[in-house]
Order: sequence, then structure tokens, then C-alpha cells
Amino acid sequence: MSTTAAPNYELLQQEGLETSLLEISMGPHHPSTHGVFRMDVKLDGETVVELKPVFGYLHRNHEKLAENMSYLSSMPFTDRLDYFNSMTNNWAYALAAEQLVEVEVPERAEYLRVIMAELTRLVNHVTLVGFFVNDLGALGTPLMYAFREREKILDLFEQASGARMMCNYFRFGGLRNDVPEGWLDRTRELVDRFPAFLDEYEQLLSENEIILSRTQGVGNLSRELAINAGITGPMLRASGVNYDLRKVDAYGIYDRFKFRVPYTDGDTGDCYDRFMIRMLEMRESVAILKQALADIPEGDIIGKVSKVFKPKPGETYGRIEGPKGELGFYLIADGTPKPYRYRVRPPSLINLTVLREMCLGGKIADAVVILGSIDIVLGEVDR
Amino acid sequence: MSFQLIIDILIATVPLLVIFPSLFAFTTWMERKALARIQNRIGPNKIGVPCTRVSLFGLGQPAADGIKMIFKEDIVPRGADKLFHLLAPILALIPAMLILCFLPLEFPWGKFMSGKVQAFMLDSAVIFFFAITGLNTLAIFMAGWASRNKYSLLGGMRAVAQMVSYEIPLVLSAVIVVMMVGSLNAKEIADAQSGFNWFVFSPWGLAAFIVFFIAALAETNRSPFDLPEAESEIIAGYFTEYSGFKFALFFLGEYIAMFAISGLAVTLFLGAGDGPFVDAAPWMPAMWFIAKIFGLIAVMIWLRGTLPRLRVDQLMAFAWKFLLPLSIFNILLAGLSYFALDARVANTTDDVIHYVNSGNPFAGVPELGTNEALMGAMIYRGMAGEQNPMAAKKWFLKAALKGHPASRTLVAWWLGIWVLSLVALYVMAKGLNNLSRSTTKPREYLYAE
Amino acid sequence: MSILGGGIFKGMAVTLRNFVGSYFYKERLITNDYDWRPEDKLPQSIGEYPKEEGEQLRDTTTVNHYSRNFPMLLHDGGEPMDTVRCVACQICERECPPQCIYIEKSEDKTERSDNKAQFYPAKFDIDVSVCMSCQICVEVCPFDAIVMNSQFELSTPDRFGGLLVRRDDLLKSNDYYHKIHPQEAATRDQKMVADKAAKEAKKKAAAEKAKAAAEVKAKAAAEAKAKEEGE
Repeated sequence: MSTTAAPNYELLQQEGLETSLLEISMGPHHPSTHGVFRMDVKLDGETVVELKPVFGYLHRNHEKLAENMSYLSSMPFTDRLDYFNSMTNNWAYALAAEQLVEVEVPERAEYLRVIMAELTRLVNHVTLVGFFVNDLGALGTPLMYAFREREKILDLFEQASGARMMCNYFRFGGLRNDVPEGWLDRTRELVDRFPAFLDEYEQLLSENEIILSRTQGVGNLSRELAINAGITGPMLRASGVNYDLRKVDAYGIYDRFKFRVPYTDGDTGDCYDRFMIRMLEMRESVAILKQALADIPEGDIIGKVSKVFKPKPGETYGRIEGPKGELGFYLIADGTPKPYRYRVRPPSLINLTVLREMCLGGKIADAVVILGSIDIVLGEVDR
Repeated sequence: MSFQLIIDILIATVPLLVIFPSLFAFTTWMERKALARIQNRIGPNKIGVPCTRVSLFGLGQPAADGIKMIFKEDIVPRGADKLFHLLAPILALIPAMLILCFLPLEFPWGKFMSGKVQAFMLDSAVIFFFAITGLNTLAIFMAGWASRNKYSLLGGMRAVAQMVSYEIPLVLSAVIVVMMVGSLNAKEIADAQSGFNWFVFSPWGLAAFIVFFIAALAETNRSPFDLPEAESEIIAGYFTEYSGFKFALFFLGEYIAMFAISGLAVTLFLGAGDGPFVDAAPWMPAMWFIAKIFGLIAVMIWLRGTLPRLRVDQLMAFAWKFLLPLSIFNILLAGLSYFALDARVANTTDDVIHYVNSGNPFAGVPELGTNEALMGAMIYRGMAGEQNPMAAKKWFLKAALKGHPASRTLVAWWLGIWVLSLVALYVMAKGLNNLSRSTTKPREYLYAE
Repeated sequence: MSILGGGIFKGMAVTLRNFVGSYFYKERLITNDYDWRPEDKLPQSIGEYPKEEGEQLRDTTTVNHYSRNFPMLLHDGGEPMDTVRCVACQICERECPPQCIYIEKSEDKTERSDNKAQFYPAKFDIDVSVCMSCQICVEVCPFDAIVMNSQFELSTPDRFGGLLVRRDDLLKSNDYYHKIHPQEAATRDQKMVADKAAKEAKKKAAAEKAKAAAEVKAKAAAEAKAKEEGE
């Protein structure tokens, strides 16, 4: 870690006064570290003068494990990376593997993939905002409202894939099974009702004076630092960069949908921007969902892939715009049924790298809020 | 004599020791249930009558919690200061219980036995109240220090800073009531408000009540000022290292303090035991008193279910840059307008008396509303029993409604002063708000197609 | 110029609405009581999304068609080991991502009631504590022998033995499968029948081909013979 910032406190410089900084190890079990994450904080009163993020408590050897099993067997493990967004994790991995064998994905499967990914984005953002306000000190009310809506979407996931969170639904070349009868109608109904929830949520949160003063001007992230640190996703857009892989890559069939990418002018890039960008993105996701649900055709659900997945030697990098940022899978195939190299680009970990820069000089309560606004899942950070 | 004394003491204190802890149990249930419903959950709904399937909306839950608390292992950290670790929860509870003695709570049996209406009559009750509330800070800091835990220490330090800061607006807003009544005696304050002359029904009283309520939230560590026990930042603050019965004592102390401070707010601003049908039964005043306390606690729960927490510097800024100037301004305003209004009432009284003296008002064509105006004047001068400016105003209002010209002028003055005071207070609050915190507002965002 | 504290009052209005609403609109109240015997419940079709506000949004105690929790071994009725579909090919054991399946192949083939001589699993253990319900074993099985059960009350006071499910406990009849996952079981049966038919057709075709080839061969041989004889 870099050098400790000099404690900017006059008393410390006075001679004859024996004072020291208060060192606190926040975590690995702490109510607001979102899992097993630790922040070694040095406090001058309530002000953070040094912060050292420590992670790795949840390391599960995901990448090395994947190099020792078949391509398909890694699919359920990708669910467990960012366990809020198993659908998008599946998609990123499937995308990478499909580039190795160049398989055609049927039309209906592409539409269902978009629907699942955008529902996942709703799940992620709605839960993030809930937890974020919980970190601000609200007694779980916004979180419970968020979970209320999340439950409805998870019900849909369960009906389609059999599991609420660990969906394991995508396959190379399509999806595992078609959605059951009536599922699309039910999803349409949910999507139609979702904006009403967003309105209520915004009424509850986005004008609240306490939330405004707690988040505005807290944890500023400049555009330059965000780009240099490789930040992606809503956090990058909150720092004023218009960069969304759905527009840049137009993977899948995203070029068919009309949607907007919200971003800021980059003046502030604080927690409030990160919070609001996500709120606005949810509305755009609803717009995509409406179009996809209107246009979805009948048809096959999986393309022609041989049962034994054995790509020719080569390498590939598949990336998607996950709810947390750019999620990428880098694969090297060597002609065997197992990948030679398997590497995940986790948005959570890379977004976490700027935590120290954002927290220094703030209060300890700000550090918690900033961590909440980064939106990390330790399953993905530690892998 | 000694027997009579003991009975008196028992009758005065036992209700406080029985009623409020059982109300505490009910309040925890109420809070859990209300928060659950606010959050669209069900809340406790299983435990009711033991050994049956009667659940009574989960009303048995506090009892189950209490039993659990008692039988839990009491863990004292190895490095802790054992004596103070033990003393802190006790010290948190005692002052809270003590404060209850000063509330003008008229239990009918108290009246019946000895004529006493409250456990402890003191001419300087309001001052005593604030003096004892200050002890609570000590207990919390003691807990934070003795636990030998960094989170506890942070929580304890936050508590001291917060409670010392918020005591000032709390006292200053109570000063307004003391100014109007001219007494520190809780019973006299309560009596002065009888007949719906509650102090909250005046602009400066309303402002003082709001300031008092906000400061009371901070004094009792309730959301959005629950920084000393901020869960997302410092685990549980000063009671991080407390478990079992000690934790329960802290909890009890906190809730009793809530009752006490709400009780004081009710005494000072909300007319104590006054309310509709108050004379219908001897237990009505006590019932109204407790109902009002519960009303305030319901608002506290509601706030807790809605608001996030302030940051520590914002908390201090709010106390010193917003509440303190506002309450000082309020005192000034209250003094001035009360003086102006009183002068006007005196003037009108003089007019009426002069008119009466100059000729017989009841002969000839009586001017409209003269009887009421005369009544008001007599009450104001103390010619009809006790001198009572408040009640006098009510008679003048009646006279004005009937069309008495002098009273009408008085009411116009009255309304003018009220509206002016309200506007002045709002402008002051708004200005202070803009000054005390950096301007924050919702923002506009860009969209890329 | 906004009202002082306006945002806070707005938020309080929302919480009040939810407080009152939770007593009148069941849709708001997402939690409901846990049914003590949920595993007896049959799967519910998705059904209509509730149109009325007062309707219950969902019944958390039912399972649905694709629900998966833990694998089971299928047999076609009767004495389980006589009709077990598993032939101990051990593909699922190899492919299982968390490696929770343990199979021991039988030494000998058995004569079963359906007159097929097959290897069978002498041991087939799955560890509940390791299994992550991913359904990969179901997908790789060439014999449709392993499918997912939706039973989820699997807790036990025994940490080791109790969580290791043995072959005989894993065996479930196809009828049971039809009961818990009717749609899935039906498609699977159809597929099996189709596969079987295709296989037989293939066999038949192969046989015919072989026959034809033999005929051609015989003909050729006869011709050759005739030629030989002619010479």
C-alpha cells in the first residue's frame, strides 16, 4: 500500500501531547461491508486519514477450478461470482464460449437473453439502492421495498429456470429450456407495474434532505481517475463518461432496441450521482423490456451445438455490460474439452480499487456510504 | 404518621414502576409491528398466550424476548472495566425512572389517598428534569469507555457530543413555556393549559414544540439522530459489548427516557392531561396524558421507519447553526409578540372597563357582544376569581365573533401578530437552513441516445 | 424554492401509505406464513398475474414446474433396482461441477425383469451438503436416468451420514416424477419414446442395409459363382 497520508490535525503536531490515530479494522464481519470485506481504517476523531481495503476472504479458486473441468461445468460456478446477477454472468461466459465455436443463437433465445439480462439489471439496481440507503442509516424500509420488487422478479426467474438466484439458465448457443406457458404475460404485467414502484421509490428517497446532504459531495470520483482506474458501468457514467457496452459492442441484439444511456456532465461524480444514475437506468431497462416483450418471436431455444463441447485451439474475450460494469471472460482453448486458461474480469473488484482515493478525508460514515455506492459483491471480488 | 407516609410513597411510586415498564413492553411490540407494516412485513405474530395457539397479534413477543434476555449469558470482555461495565446500564435506567416522578400525571388513586397528584412536587421541576436528563450522557459514555471496544468508544464519544449539544435547544425551547406561565412547576404549567389553551396552539409555541421534539429525538438517540448506536457504521455503538440482561436494561432505560421526554413535551406544549371529556371520569387526565405520549412515540417510530441517519458533522451543524439560533430567535419573538398581545388585551380591557364605568351597558341598547367582552375584562383583571389572561382571550374572541368592535380590533391584532410570527419563524428557519448546510438539490442528468 | 423539510414529508407520506396499504392490499405484503408441509404440494401452473390489487401475488409455499433442488434416480416402476435406468456410465460423476456424486459400477451385468442385461450402480451416493442444485448431471445423462427432485426439506440432525443420500433413497419412480414435474416429465418421455423409435428405426435401417448388403453380396457371390461355374 502507498504511503500513509500525513494526519492533518494540529493537535498531533503540538509538542508534549501524546495522541495517536485510532485504528479500526472494519470487517470482515461488520454490518455494512456487504460480505466478508475488511477496511483497515485509521481515524483522526471521525475523519478517515488512511484506509486499506483487504479482501480475499471469499476466494474459491474459481478460475483454476474452471481450467480443470469441462466448459459446461463452469457455467453453474459463474452464477456464484456475482450472486445477484447470475443471468448476466451466464451470458458473459456463454458469449465468450460461443465466440470459440461460432454457433448461431436462435432468435427467440436472443430475445429471452435480453429479457433476462434486463430483469437482472432491475434486480441488481433495486437491491443496490436498497442497501445503499440502508448504509445511510435508514432502518431497512427502502431495502424492504426493494426486496418486495426483487422477489417478484426472482419468482419469474424461478419459474423459468428452476432457481431463484443460481439460475444456471444460459447454455452455449441458447438457453437451457424455453420459458413456461404464461411466463411472458406475467413478465409483461410486472414490467408494466414497475415504473409505479420506481415513482414511489423516488418520492421516498430522491428528494429527502438527509439523503441529499449525506450523498452530495461525498466520495467524488473525477473523470480522469475513473478512466485511469478502469472503472466501468454506472459508476463510470456517474463520473461523466458516456460508455455503455450495450451501445459500444451491441452484443446480442441490443442494436434493435431504442434506449438511452444516462450519464452526468462529470462535474461531481459523487455518491448521489451514482445513486441517481442507477435509478435512471432502471427506467431505461423497463423501456428495453417493453420492446423485447413486444417483439419476441416463437421458435427454437438453442442452436446446434454438439453435446461434447470441444472448441478448436484459440483464444477469445467475451464481455457484456453487466449491472455492475464490464464483465468479461477470457478463454484460451487448446483443443481439449477443458479451457487452457480461464480468466474473469470482475467489475466489482476493479471498481473497488478507487475506494481509498474516494474515502480519504471523509468521515467514517462516508466511507460506509461510498463502499455502498460502489456496488460490490464479494463473490465476484474474491472469486 | 409513618404508616400513612409509607402508603403515600408506595402509591406515588409503584404505579410509575409498574405502568411504565409494562408500557415499555407494549411499546417494543408496537414499534416492531408498526415498523414491519411500514416495511410491508407482518411483524411478530406467533407468540401470544402460552400453551395455546392464541397468538393475539404476537402480543406475547415482549415477554418471550424478556425471558430470553434474562437467561442469556452475560459476557464481559476480558479487557473491560468490570465495575463500570456493570454500573452503566443501571445508571442509564435510574435517571430515566426518576424523571417520571416529575410528570404531572394525575392517577385517580393518588388523589383519593392523599391528595397528591404526582409523585414528587417540586417548584423547579423543569430545571430538575433537565439536570437529571444530563446524567444519561454519563451512563452512555461510561458504557462506551468501560467496554474497551473501539466501536463502543466512538459511540460513547458521539453520544456525549450529541447530547450536550442538543440539551441547549431543548432547554431554550422549554424556556418559552416558562416565560408564558411564569413558573417552573410542572403542575402549574399543566393547569395553565387547561381548556385547550395548549401552548402548541401559538406560533412560537409551535416552533418551540418542533425544536423541542427534534432535540428530544437527539437526546433519546432516536432516528435520524441515532448516531451513538449507528448500526451501519459502528455496529451498535456504546452497547456493542452488552448482552443479556444488561442489554435489556439499556433498552429499558432508552424507552423509559423516551416516555419521560415525551411526557415533558406533553406537559409543556400539549396541555398535559387536558383533552375532550376530561371531566367525565377521574382517570381521564391520566389516560389523555398517556395517549398523548403514545402519539408522540408513534411519530418517533414513523420517523424511524422513514429517515436515514445524519452524519456527525451535519448533526453538530444542525444543533449549533440551526436549532440554537432558531430557538433564541423564537424566544425573542415570543417575548415581543406576547408583550404586544398582552398590551393589546390590557388596552381592550381598559376600554371595556371604561365603557362600563361611563354608563350602564345593560341599559339601553346593549352593544353586541358586550357581555362576553366584560367577562373577558373581568377575568383578565382577576375580578372573577383567579386572574387568567389565557381564558380572558377566549372571552374576547367570543365577543369579537358577536361583533364587539374593541374586541374585533383585538382579534385583528392577535391574528396579525400570529401570522407575522409564523412568517418570521419560517423565513428565519429557511434562512438558517440555507446558511447552515451546503446547498443540496436534485440534479439534472444527460442522456445518450 | 422548495418547502423546508418537504422531501422528508414526502417520504413520510410514502411510508404512511405503505403502512395503511399493507392492511388492505395483499400484494404489498410479500411475506406469508410458511406452510409446514410444503413438499406435499403439487406444482402450480403459473396462472394469471393477479389483476385485482387485493389478490395475493404469489403462494410462496408451492413449487413450480422447473423447480430443482436435489437429484433423484428414476426407475420405471415395480421393484426399483429391476427397472433402474442408470447404467453406471459415470458421466454425471465426471461432469458434476462440485464433484458430489460417487458411483461404483457393478461387477456383473444383471438379468432384470425387463430382460435387459445391464450394468447397474452398486453404489450411488450424493452429498447434499456439497450439491449445488445446478442440474448439470441431468443434462449430461444420456439415459434420462437422473432428474431433479423439488423436495427441499432436507435438514437432518446428523451432519455426515444424514447428508449423504444413498442409492436406495435416491431411487424414485417415473410416476413420482410425473407428479412433481408433469410438463417436464411428459416431454422427457416423449423424447425417450422418439429416441427409442429413432434408434429402432436406425437399427431397422441398419439391419435392412445389412440385409441389402448381404443380398447384394450374396447376389454378387452367386453371380461370381455362376460366372465361375460358367467358366
